[in-house]
Amino acid sequence: MQNLHVAWTIKYKPKSLTEVIGNKEAIQQLVDWIKSWDTSIPKKRAAFLYGPPGIGKTVTVYALAVDFEMELVEKNASDYRTEEAIKRFAGLASQFRSLFGGKRLVLLDELDGLTGNADRGGVGAITEIVKTAQCPIVLIANNPYDPRFTNLRNHCLLIEFKKPPASEVTKHLKRICAIEKIQAEESALKFIAQRSDGDIRSAVNDLQALALGKKTLTYEDVSWLGYRDRQETIFNVLRLIFYGKTCQGAKQAVDMADVDIDMLFEWIYENVPTHFTDPHDLAKAMDALSIADLYRGRISSTQDWSFTRYVIDYMTAGVAMARQKTKIHGWTPFKFPVRIQMLSRTKAERAMQLNIGYKIKRRCHVSANRASKEILPYLKIIFKNNPNMAAGIAKWLDLDMEMVDYLAESEKNAEAIAKLLS
Amino acid sequence: MSFEMWAEKYRPKTLDSMVDQKEIVERLKSFVKSRNVPHCIFAGPPGTGKTTAALCLARDLYGDAYREHIMELNASDERGINVVRETVKTFARARSIGEIPFKIMILDESDNMTADAQQALRRTMERYTETCRFILCANYSGKIIEPIQSRCAPFRFTFLPREEHDKYLKCIADNENVKLLKDGLDAIFEVCSGDLRKAINTLQAAASLNKPVDSKVVYSIAGRANPADVQKMIEVAMNGNFLEARKQLRDMIQKYGVAGSDIIRQIHTEIFRADISEPWKIKLANIVGEIDYRLVEGADEEVQLSALLARLVEAGYELKKAS
Repeated sequence: MQNLHVAWTIKYKPKSLTEVIGNKEAIQQLVDWIKSWDTSIPKKRAAFLYGPPGIGKTVTVYALAVDFEMELVEKNASDYRTEEAIKRFAGLASQFRSLFGGKRLVLLDELDGLTGNADRGGVGAITEIVKTAQCPIVLIANNPYDPRFTNLRNHCLLIEFKKPPASEVTKHLKRICAIEKIQAEESALKFIAQRSDGDIRSAVNDLQALALGKKTLTYEDVSWLGYRDRQETIFNVLRLIFYGKTCQGAKQAVDMADVDIDMLFEWIYENVPTHFTDPHDLAKAMDALSIADLYRGRISSTQDWSFTRYVIDYMTAGVAMARQKTKIHGWTPFKFPVRIQMLSRTKAERAMQLNIGYKIKRRCHVSANRASKEILPYLKIIFKNNPNMAAGIAKWLDLDMEMVDYLAESEKNAEAIAKLLS
Repeated sequence: MSFEMWAEKYRPKTLDSMVDQKEIVERLKSFVKSRNVPHCIFAGPPGTGKTTAALCLARDLYGDAYREHIMELNASDERGINVVRETVKTFARARSIGEIPFKIMILDESDNMTADAQQALRRTMERYTETCRFILCANYSGKIIEPIQSRCAPFRFTFLPREEHDKYLKCIADNENVKLLKDGLDAIFEVCSGDLRKAINTLQAAASLNKPVDSKVVYSIAGRANPADVQKMIEVAMNGNFLEARKQLRDMIQKYGVAGSDIIRQIHTEIFRADISEPWKIKLANIVGEIDYRLVEGADEEVQLSALLARLVEAGYELKKAS
């Protein structure tokens, strides 16, 4: 029976360098470097593999270890958050031969994952290890030109991995289908390969999701999938809308977007002000959005979804036609909708407010909703200033400690109230 | 000083103790006398005694055990049609025990009910009139569908007149040993414009500071409790900084939960005070009105109000060009 739980990306991982897709040049560079260790320790003791995700950097290192019969010691850099932890790791790199006499290869993956304060010193410590290493070290990152890596880069052999051509990816998918006994149309596999844009991992994942348990895979099966949600897509859509010359052109952009209408609305709403800077144009564009929003409201009150066409008219063509005076100069970046971010950030807080609202409701003949907006602010003032009154009210409303903490806004105040309550 | 919510502690218990809305109270008393109550709509701004009147009526009618004969439902918490179909209907059709053959259902903030729910409610009201009478409390009776309005006796509540407002607050202050100064009282009235619940909450929050309540204390409380600095937002927009103005709007709505209708009311007031050319003022008034109406229709508060902010940016730009 087919094992349904094994991810095909693991099942069909290359077992030898000859099986790795594309990047022949890079692999040759890597092999030459490894071989140079046999005579003496080379000047660059680490190889720094870089390139976009999913194109086979990590699996290349695995295959390398297999082909050269080396003991692979692997760590995700993200497990190594501090300098100290990395130093402990350093011991491993100080010996060429492992306990059992085999050669050792050290891999530090996902260097991009070192971020923020917690990792302070992390890159520095890695650099130190690289300088004195007694065995080959391989580092992997998506972006080697991150300023944090400037110093580290000087001590490494930089090897670039490129996106393999779609034809190579298609071949790989074909091979998998043959083993899985899936009759797949060439056009279907091509479509998946193209869509993945060189990301082999995502192509194999897509193939598994679409074909698992099936005997055949047709173009129809896969064609309904839009392009993967890469931000590039939404940016193009916004560009077409904001700088569209015709209504039709701006409207057609919607078909390209792979987010729903409401999300697209948020993207447009967030970015209009920076792309329509002339006050008259801005007012017109915002007016168009407010009318689009009006139709959204009409859809929800009538439940008649055919009104969606007017929402689209106004949020695309309406916005595009607002541009009369704003000059197009240079490049203005697009921003993720702040409103969506805020909504999720303030969600917990709003839930707390509403829970307190429900407590007030039980006592005060007012809706939880209104209480959380209109009465809660006064409670906050009382809880901040008058522990006695606060404790009395907390008891009267039957608030729990978490609610008291929230209303008191500071630990000191909350403690004073808690003392009175106990 | 007592340690519960004063707005609740000093809520009148009987119709006799209600200080204001004299005509309404008289009519309600006549219902009690005749032991019969029609379906009613209590409409009026917040804090004018709608819920209190309904509760007092019930207590006068049923006595101290009135809670067994009434049900309070809040439409802004439970606004869907299912609540009407289930909770309301179950309550409405069960026969009442006791000498009065009907119960009372108080539907608070009923202008927040969806149109569907109101349609369902209309049928329930008709069918179970014998066993249940409805009192619908609402800020705007216009948001209640026509067929329900025509089945209800309308009562229009208005803001408390100044003397009644003052008398009430002074009485609470005396009872709680709070020193309420004259200018403090003036400030409360200015800030709360007759909304008694808000006024009492303001008084209590001010009293929690343990010093005499003067205008300074009241304004600082009001400032903290009402983070909607609409005036500043308008200024920022008029100076051409749309992004900052929109951020302030966003904070008001999302962080502090200020209602869009409150913001628009304040914008309307501010527009006529602000330094805007006269023709623009009336142009903006029209836009404000349109957007106010859209909010009532249920449009997105932030999107609509930020469209208005963009107009203010435009107005500010024109003003600068002219000068």
